[in-house]
Amino acid sequence: MHRDLVCAAAGLALAGAYYAAAAAIPASLLADGVGAGGIPKLLAVALALLSLVLGARRLLVSSRAAAVDGPHVRALGIAALGFVYVAVAPYLGYPLALALLVAAATFYYGERLRPAVLVYAIGCAALLWLVFAKLLGVAMPPGLWWR
Amino acid sequence: MTELALAWKALATGWTVPAAFAGVAWGIVGGALPGISPSIAMALLLPFTYGLDPVTAIVMLASVYVGAEYGGSIPAILIRTPGTNAAAATVIDGFEMHRRGRGGEALGISLVSGLVGGLFGLAVLVAATGPLARFALSFTPPAYFALGVLGLSVIAGLSGKSLLKGLIAGIIGFMIATIGTDPVSGVARFTFGSPDLLGGIRPIVVMVGLFAVTELMVQAIEPAWSRVEAGAARLRLPDWRMWRRLFRPQAIGAAIGTFEGVTPGAGGTIAAFLSYNEAKRWSKHPEEFGQGSVEGVAAPECANNVVTGTALVPLLGLGIPGSNSAAILLGGFLLHGLAPGPLLFEKSPDVVYGLYAGLLVANVAMLLLGLVILTPCLWLVNRPKPYLMAFVLALVVSGIYAMEASFFDVALVLGAGVLGYGLRWLGVPALPLVLGVVLGFMVESNYRRALVLSGGDHGIFVQDPISLGLLVAAAVVVALSLRREVKRQEGPASP
Repeated sequence: MHRDLVCAAAGLALAGAYYAAAAAIPASLLADGVGAGGIPKLLAVALALLSLVLGARRLLVSSRAAAVDGPHVRALGIAALGFVYVAVAPYLGYPLALALLVAAATFYYGERLRPAVLVYAIGCAALLWLVFAKLLGVAMPPGLWWR
Repeated sequence: MTELALAWKALATGWTVPAAFAGVAWGIVGGALPGISPSIAMALLLPFTYGLDPVTAIVMLASVYVGAEYGGSIPAILIRTPGTNAAAATVIDGFEMHRRGRGGEALGISLVSGLVGGLFGLAVLVAATGPLARFALSFTPPAYFALGVLGLSVIAGLSGKSLLKGLIAGIIGFMIATIGTDPVSGVARFTFGSPDLLGGIRPIVVMVGLFAVTELMVQAIEPAWSRVEAGAARLRLPDWRMWRRLFRPQAIGAAIGTFEGVTPGAGGTIAAFLSYNEAKRWSKHPEEFGQGSVEGVAAPECANNVVTGTALVPLLGLGIPGSNSAAILLGGFLLHGLAPGPLLFEKSPDVVYGLYAGLLVANVAMLLLGLVILTPCLWLVNRPKPYLMAFVLALVVSGIYAMEASFFDVALVLGAGVLGYGLRWLGVPALPLVLGVVLGFMVESNYRRALVLSGGDHGIFVQDPISLGLLVAAAVVVALSLRREVKRQEGPASP
């Protein structure tokens, strides 16, 4: 499917979901004439119209279909590593979770998993912990095992 | 005199000078790393500025911008890989000079041309921003609404290849801005019961996700960049004779950089390429262009450094960011509870004049650091990409968490990164989305406030002369963009 058509379909889906959520916003006694849902509904309609125009233009102008390309799963893996970090950091604690994240990301970006990677990961975690926790005084999560 | 006193105070007390040096150093290093654009270098530093006082923080961020524009020319000249988009024009003659054994000379020309451009851009910034802000002081809610509309109309200029996709991005950004508590009635919108969303999604979270995380994802599928040979270059500053030859291309770069900088959406890349073309057209030695011309390095490098100053004119004067880097700087202002625009000059003049002074120091710092930082910079560029990217990822998740001690924010940044990656693949530009996030609240709240004042009469937007003028200006911008889009559609079909 052509990227413009993907974009148009995604835009329409988002517009529909957003309009439904806007319609569900409760009315308030303090509301003005426009209301809390007024602008959001307008935005949803505008997005739907623009998506329709984009899709229609692609269908009318050209029928060539471009294949979905690119190793997207590999790229998304970086975000997945981040989400795993978010999930485990409150339990493992910032230094340990960060060291694991750095090691996993270094490996994921193409480096072989060898002792140097682990040393680098521990060094990065220690450096950033010193900067944030000690220098900037941010309360980075210590993790459950620390208690 | 008060202004000078405030500027001097910023320099003499506090951490302005060290912040400018640190910002420039980070900017040069970040700019030298392919894939780390000035805006990404700034976004990575943003969380670290949270605990600093506003003047120091803003100066540090703006200094990154200054340093990154020079830093981008280092790999452009030495490995034919522009570290920043704006350095792409420098590749043409810079790398050719390096190939002919004149890499150090090219780096020296890039450095001094950047200094000339940076100082010129600063002069324009100081001269133009004050009057613009003073005019904007008389704004009422309808005028602020119209200003927001004018800002959103800029989306047309930021849309790249497709106006439609730019508008879609702008609306998605506006949608993100509506998340949280309604500005008039206080009702929760689109929070889905999550208390973390009641305060809305802060622009900085969206920016770091869209710029830094998206780039980290893209780098996972990009090949490794080339290595610089050891001892490849020793920086050489131009002598007096060379300075005289560089005057003309630098003047061209300064003029074009000024115009492109204050024009939202244009930015350093367009300025650099236009300057290169004009410098070639007006050169006494046009045949040297493409063969290692010193003028072909000076003009674009001067132009993209002029933009580091002039791109801040609409940001400081009106609160409208016209480029990625200006948007990140706006994020820095918002992070410290400051709203760029006319009121900034009244409420926080110390920040404005401190920024001017800091930018002056930053440009001098660029010259001094540029002379000594080349070797460590090359060492860093030669580190294996996996190690560098993993560290940047660690920096992003740590920095975002540090701002509010919230893993929810880290998850939002990662989500914004995925969104940015999807948008990039779909050919949807990211900057209009950022503009929507930044201006959405201003447009909606002032629109509704104005209607409350007028009892629901939309005539208030055309009865206020400033509002009317701004709306007309927005209509002109949109009309011109539509005309350009129609012309583009009539041209060769895009693939």
